[in-house]
Amino acid sequence: MKNTIRVERAIKNITQAELADLIGVSRQTINTIESNRYVPSTVLALKIARVFGKPVEEIFILEQED
Amino acid sequence: MKPKFLFPYWTRYLGWVLVFAHIPVMMIGKYYGLDDHHSNSDALFNNGHLLFIGTALLMAIGLFLVAFSRERIEDEQIAQLRLDSLRWAVFINYIVLIICLIFFNDTHHILLMNLWVPLLFFIIRFQWMLFRNNRLIKKDGQL
Repeated sequence: MKNTIRVERAIKNITQAELADLIGVSRQTINTIESNRYVPSTVLALKIARVFGKPVEEIFILEQED
Repeated sequence: MKPKFLFPYWTRYLGWVLVFAHIPVMMIGKYYGLDDHHSNSDALFNNGHLLFIGTALLMAIGLFLVAFSRERIEDEQIAQLRLDSLRWAVFINYIVLIICLIFFNDTHHILLMNLWVPLLFFIIRFQWMLFRNNRLIKKDGQL
């Protein structure tokens, strides 16, 4: 699974730390999700999508091997 | 989602104090010859038993507090990391334990070590992963 969080953050012009604050997780968590080292729970994915005002599928995208 | 059974953040400091406190206790105990394993008394709270509580058990309690204290921000990624480290620690522990039991004949001491070795493996692995994640954040810079 890949994600577009980095791009969405750039559009919204917020840092990892700010995004982390908005959804109440650590900055580490955002960083590990962005670099594909951690797959967030559905709850967290929905929260992230809500911050960017987009459906989850636009932010988290399944890949061939998933 | 939040793990319920974790000690407060500050207990890690108490834990480390206990871990290091066992060293002077052990030295005093050895100085006064309290570690007499050959005493015939099986009584509860005899000298040998008290020394064991003051040393090995003190260290185990300390490591227990360190291992299961809350992080500053406790979220699902940390919970996952903790679970992963715990599985890793138990796994490594049993491999080491089995190898030691096969190749050494000091069963008593090997099993005694097992009182705190899994916790030690867990703490090392968990803290290492946290450290590595923080280093990767620094590498990313202020993206």
